[in-house]
Amino acid sequence: MKKRVNIFVNGVERILEVEPWVTLLEAVRGLGLTGAKLGCDIQVCGTCTLLLDGRPVSACSVLAVDADGRQVLTIEGLGDKNRLHPLQEAFMDCGALQCGYCTSGFILTAKAMLEESPRPTEEQIRSYMGGNFCRCGCYPEILEAIRKVAGL
Amino acid sequence: MRGFEYLEPTTLSEACGLLKRYAGDAKVFAGGSAFTILMKQGLLQPKALVNIKKIEGLRGIRYDPVEGLIIGALVTHHEIETSELLKEKLPILCELEHDVANIRVRNMATVGGNLASGEPLTDLPCVFISLDSKVKISSSSGDRTLPLEKLFVDYYETALASDEILTQVMLPPLEPLTGVEYLRFSSSSVVDKPCVGVSTRITLDAKSQALRTVRIGLGCVAPTPIRARRAEKILEGKPLDPQRLAEAAASASEECSPLSDLRGSEHYKREMVRVLVRRAVPKACKRAQGS
Repeated sequence: MKKRVNIFVNGVERILEVEPWVTLLEAVRGLGLTGAKLGCDIQVCGTCTLLLDGRPVSACSVLAVDADGRQVLTIEGLGDKNRLHPLQEAFMDCGALQCGYCTSGFILTAKAMLEESPRPTEEQIRSYMGGNFCRCGCYPEILEAIRKVAGL
Repeated sequence: MRGFEYLEPTTLSEACGLLKRYAGDAKVFAGGSAFTILMKQGLLQPKALVNIKKIEGLRGIRYDPVEGLIIGALVTHHEIETSELLKEKLPILCELEHDVANIRVRNMATVGGNLASGEPLTDLPCVFISLDSKVKISSSSGDRTLPLEKLFVDYYETALASDEILTQVMLPPLEPLTGVEYLRFSSSSVVDKPCVGVSTRITLDAKSQALRTVRIGLGCVAPTPIRARRAEKILEGKPLDPQRLAEAAASASEECSPLSDLRGSEHYKREMVRVLVRRAVPKACKRAQGS
């Protein structure tokens, strides 16, 4: 039986009718917000990362019904067409991506980390970001981009 | 992962009633990290999920001088990692959480789920067992308290009946001169499940400095987290010396029953148990002296 949920996606209230097994990732992508991608489907790789009430989650494994009444931030909600978020700028400046599949997950995770610890140590960055995988192997550039925004 | 009802009770008794009505076909749902994987793989196909996150009173970490630390079933791994109360009372829990899965899982997965899933390859249960923890369980017919060790029955199997909900875990207060150490070893990446975990709790005798109480919890090397009771006995009542420590470590490596898998062979895991016990016991003793 479908359930009606109100999810605040990038600050805009969306009213959705979803079956209970629809994931938050499916729901958000269904709204045309396709920055977050399905990767491993078991909460390991981080390509589906979204911020739920400001905290990174694997949207592939969160039920959309569980996000009822909550704030969801996707990569599309960062910055705007005229001005990108500093992390987005830094990722471009440092060339921190190749295929781009993991990028939205990395940027959202980094955003949450910087909000939790605005002045992270190198170790904190590596530990927090350790759950996001980049199969192109752009880790040095990704770390460089994050350090740049963190002022390290 | 489809074809289930999603039920959202707001009280514990309502939740237990729903579980009872579905007679085993409904499952308790909290963080969902382990559950969604099992459902996606078709290993679990419940008719209903009973979301317990709207129930009051299952959250929060508090300290009671008699009962000790009381951790609600809905407390997430990230809340443990960042809890100021735990940093003061039992910092080892905050430290070990840095290595549990990844930040996304730590944000969603709960302590209650960690215990009630009966998943053998995790960290907290091993530590909790070495602390003589208990769990509180509710059902339509009332509450009961169970030593945590008795909760675990077999791989992914617990003593919870289908209409029971684990509501909190209680970690008794540490005695003076007590130290706790947990060592975890991952054989692949740090974000992988542990290969072996060893938790020790040691209370020293004030006068003789002998090891008055010894607990050695072993994780990931048996169908459930276990205590290495013979190893504990070897160390208890005497001062720590290298030979006895080696003997206890060897005993612990024989008391477990690890499976060979992608994280290591049976022989390898037994060796790791031996090494980690040998390292963890002196560290716990050192902490006990400083406590």
